[in-house]
Amino acid sequence: MEDVSTLAADPGRVESLYREQVNARRVRADRMFAVLMVAQWLFAILLATLVSPYAWAGKTREFHPHLFAAVFMGAGLALFPVLLAVYKPGQAVTRHVMVASQMLWSALFIHLTGGRIETHFHVFGSLAFVAFYCDWTVLVTGTVVVAADHLVRGLLYPESVYGITNPEWWRFLEHAGWVTFEDVVLVWICITGLNEMRGLALRQAEVESLKESEEAKSAALEMVLKELQPSLAAGAQA
Amino acid sequence: MLVGAALVWIAAIGLGFTFLLNYSVEPGTPALAPDEWPRESRIPAPRGQYQLVMTLHPQCPCSRASVTELNNLLALLRNDNVKAYVLVVKPAEFPDEWTRTESVKNAERIPGINVVLDVDGVEAGRLGAATSGQVYLYSPKGQLLFAGGITPDRGHVGDSPGRERIVSLVKTGKADAKDSLVFGCALGAKICPPRPKQTGL
Repeated sequence: MEDVSTLAADPGRVESLYREQVNARRVRADRMFAVLMVAQWLFAILLATLVSPYAWAGKTREFHPHLFAAVFMGAGLALFPVLLAVYKPGQAVTRHVMVASQMLWSALFIHLTGGRIETHFHVFGSLAFVAFYCDWTVLVTGTVVVAADHLVRGLLYPESVYGITNPEWWRFLEHAGWVTFEDVVLVWICITGLNEMRGLALRQAEVESLKESEEAKSAALEMVLKELQPSLAAGAQA
Repeated sequence: MLVGAALVWIAAIGLGFTFLLNYSVEPGTPALAPDEWPRESRIPAPRGQYQLVMTLHPQCPCSRASVTELNNLLALLRNDNVKAYVLVVKPAEFPDEWTRTESVKNAERIPGINVVLDVDGVEAGRLGAATSGQVYLYSPKGQLLFAGGITPDRGHVGDSPGRERIVSLVKTGKADAKDSLVFGCALGAKICPPRPKQTGL
């Protein structure tokens, strides 16, 4: 009798199932982020409307540049990734653009809230969402975008990112270091997630293989029974 | 096609952030602060106490950060004999409700603060203030020690040279500069020309 545990799954089938699962997960993540992009856009407009709707000069007022930034920059940040999610779901370019955009949303929100330290939590929350892709390379993209944003702004306008005018040149590394701290755990989660999906694909392929084997056995048994049926009938008559 | 779209996207986002950053660090008009406390002011002249004054446009979104920083500054100077005023500038034709904003309410919550309604910015004009968030520090003898802003940039909270200098002036009597950039909306106050400096001749 064949031992179920030693059933060899077709490696091609395992790989195919694995890719199917990973792709489905990444397409779902793309859709989630597409919805998030639109939600963040609407939230940015609401935030700008509530926090800084008008710039004043004495008695006169005009729409605040933050409102324009929320509407137009927000649209720019959201539109391209959403289009990619619609037309190129599950592809590497889509998730890298999505993650870069998500990190830039953090920068925009920090601006719109006047550099509130609490808004910096958006960076860390976003990274956690990014891990849903189960692709550690997008975490690298996210970290590079955050570090580059801090480095460039730190050199040009240090107050806008660190709240002080004369930070050390390496201050961006401190910020990137905390992001990397989170990344280490998230990369591990991504790799573990992929391993689990491969394990699931292997088990599914084994079940399929077992099912095929059982169906073959049933067919063979049925054929033997059919062959034996005349002999059995004759024996019964005698 | 995709690469082209990505490049356009990156360029547009880059331009947007550059515009935002430029706006954030664009300072307002500095004050033409009188060297001595203006005698005609309705606010009592400093008498044995440092006098800290902030001018505020109640509707300016940047005022929120200015008031937050004022609160932080006064917490640092809690034991240093500082009397603080906030001048809330209001055009005469506007109702008082126009000034009942979160910034003004936050200012009123600062312990020991004196919030003064400044109709048509008369007092602010006497101090030569042109921008919301302008802060003055006068010595106990009524001499100007500092005039500038206490936010790091427009509408942003955080450490700033202005705060550092005021604290240093009160605590040690010296600072690396007597002014700083001020970030905020234009007050629209009619500025009185500052009195010429006494040359002693």
